[in-house]
Amino acid sequence: MARNLLGIRLLQREDIEELLEIAGDLKLRTLEGRAVPQIHGQVLGMLFFENSTRTRVSFEQAAHYLGIKVTNFATTSSSMAKGETLKDTILTLRYERLNGLVMRHRLSGAPSLAAKYFGGPVINAGDGQHEHPTQALGDALTILERKGDLEGLIVAIVGDVKHSRVARSNAWLLSKMGAEVRFVGPRTLVPEASGALPGKIFYDLASGIDGADVIICLRLQRERMEEGLLSSIGEYTSMYQINKDTLRYADSECLVMHPGPLNRGIEVDDVAADSERSAITSQIENGIFVRMAALHWAFQADEPAPAKKKAKV
Amino acid sequence: MRTLLKNGRILDPSQEMDRLGDVLIEDDQIVEVGDISDGSDIDEIYDCTNLWIAPGLVDPHVHLREPGSEHKETIVTGTQAAAAAGYTTICCMPNTNPPLDSPALIDFILDRAASPEAGGVFVAPVGALTKGMKGHELSDLSSMKRAGIVAASDEEFPIQNSRVMTQAMETCVQLDLPIMAHCEDASLTHDGCMNEGAVSAVLGLKGMPRSAEEIAVVRNCLLSLHTGCQLHIMRVSTWGAVEMVRQAKFLGAPVTCEICPMHFTFTDEAIGDFDTRFKITPPLRTQVDIDLLLQALNDGTIDCISSDHSPHASHEVDVPFAEAPFGSAQLESTVGVTLTMLTHKGIISPLETIRKLSTMPAKILRLDAGTLKPGETPVAQACVIDPNCEWTFDRNRSFSKSKNTPFHGMKLKGKTMLTFCGSEIYRDALFGEDRYSIAE
Repeated sequence: MARNLLGIRLLQREDIEELLEIAGDLKLRTLEGRAVPQIHGQVLGMLFFENSTRTRVSFEQAAHYLGIKVTNFATTSSSMAKGETLKDTILTLRYERLNGLVMRHRLSGAPSLAAKYFGGPVINAGDGQHEHPTQALGDALTILERKGDLEGLIVAIVGDVKHSRVARSNAWLLSKMGAEVRFVGPRTLVPEASGALPGKIFYDLASGIDGADVIICLRLQRERMEEGLLSSIGEYTSMYQINKDTLRYADSECLVMHPGPLNRGIEVDDVAADSERSAITSQIENGIFVRMAALHWAFQADEPAPAKKKAKV
Repeated sequence: MRTLLKNGRILDPSQEMDRLGDVLIEDDQIVEVGDISDGSDIDEIYDCTNLWIAPGLVDPHVHLREPGSEHKETIVTGTQAAAAAGYTTICCMPNTNPPLDSPALIDFILDRAASPEAGGVFVAPVGALTKGMKGHELSDLSSMKRAGIVAASDEEFPIQNSRVMTQAMETCVQLDLPIMAHCEDASLTHDGCMNEGAVSAVLGLKGMPRSAEEIAVVRNCLLSLHTGCQLHIMRVSTWGAVEMVRQAKFLGAPVTCEICPMHFTFTDEAIGDFDTRFKITPPLRTQVDIDLLLQALNDGTIDCISSDHSPHASHEVDVPFAEAPFGSAQLESTVGVTLTMLTHKGIISPLETIRKLSTMPAKILRLDAGTLKPGETPVAQACVIDPNCEWTFDRNRSFSKSKNTPFHGMKLKGKTMLTFCGSEIYRDALFGEDRYSIAE
């Protein structure tokens, strides 16, 4: 039986623990040069309606390590551009006998629609402003490695929470795992309604990151200026940038994280991004292992974690 | 031909009548209501024991989609759906393609509605307030009124510019034409697709704040107060909007408003996992809104109930939420939902139910409808409703072309059994055969 990974909100804590456990095991095997359990005979469609080299490469690497064949779709030149509906594109891929889909889309909820018609595992690689589950899993694995546990940690998510799928997935995951989540940013980007997400709202950076064990900086899109949500980059930077000075409010062992791509000098400065406290490069590497775990989890729901998997006869 | 609707509960708000009795229809006219003085020479009898006999229902807000979007609905299928729901008069909205902004298009609508294949109900067109519903230049409202429009509206593209709205109201005062207004400040709803709040925050969907609706309600009410133009506010959805309408009425502005079943039945939580059947404008709000909307229905601040029948083809709604059109098919579920959610719960009495579904919309739009009084309507307009009929709404049995309804599969209590518009135009399969007899 296959299962979908559409978002963290719909997962149980046990699912998250299982995914992180598989990812940790796969990482260890890979680093030690041991065999990684393969998923044979499966073809995975990479359906990126929104460009993302980073996430696509990460999924391709994950599939490569697992022996899964990958097919890419150039969605800008495909039949979608000729007016085909998403439903028909998904049905076409289903009957072209693809086994799974990794999907990125600019609209929230598009992977749910795909899952309705595909009939095999669909993994959300980021949908609109809704969720980005594998990013959150990679971030969680990184925090686990550096902090040992997620339970009881104070995690501040700083920046444009309103428009961020990374913020949403991280907040769901970390809160389900027992961490204290805080949203920090200006009222225009952290509106009152964000309180419906599992986190506490702070408009002041110093109090928001006070004692934080982890700070997750969010990327600031320049279009927020055009929309009038921010007066200027300088104004934002002066209030919310994570740098040597502002880091003093956080715990002395505080991790600095960023989903990338970085706007160096805006949401985070060089010192914070490149210091020992920065976990940004681990996030990228762990992204591959959690995506491997996600593929195992999605394709082989009935089988136990690969660590306990029986050898093929 | 003498037809007797026998022994029903007669609910006629136009004469404050709520009593057991009979209604006699001779040829195509109602001739007696209540106690029948001359019961001889009856040709056919409908036994209405335990059923309501009411004026034919009046829907102030229906999208028939013709011309231009015949794949969603046509005047034929839309009027058939209306007849099956107990309506004898429906107002059709001008946001067609092209929009109903000229007398020729009004003639077209009325011709199509009168064709023999159509449902046999009266169609009262609403004309576009501005040319092309672009919000700049007024349409030729005087000639459209002569052609038969009963009101003017720019529907889903409400006039944003207050100067243009003022001019529209001044013109409509002179022409004695009501304006129907969908209230939305577009600068606040740009690209929005659901209520702005907790659910939109979780789903990552762009919200439409309640203030967008309320600002437009306030502006339109103030312009109505100052110009004296009759204003009918379409489908209110927030407690604030209703409060503004209440205030405007208190100040003496000639303002009325309607609600549609979606807004008193569902909150934005119904959207669940991006279910586009719950995408509507104004959007579904919260439980606090529903509670106060019910209160406003009860105290009469909300004057009437429209279906806001907004049919779409299935392929148009089976898309990502943000890309789906607003609205769903509603005509054939409105009576059942209204009785289930309002009447049986004691929010409004049976007589008020009929007032809101028939007499009030007729009064607001000055239609010859909404009454059983002999001689007050061009032909007999009546419906028979079984208030206790329990049934499950099945979109596959609906007359509407559109199958995108959130009420599919819902258990409802209350169903239209018969519709008369001149003669019988609809008889429900659940109307017992033993209830109908032809005199020897």
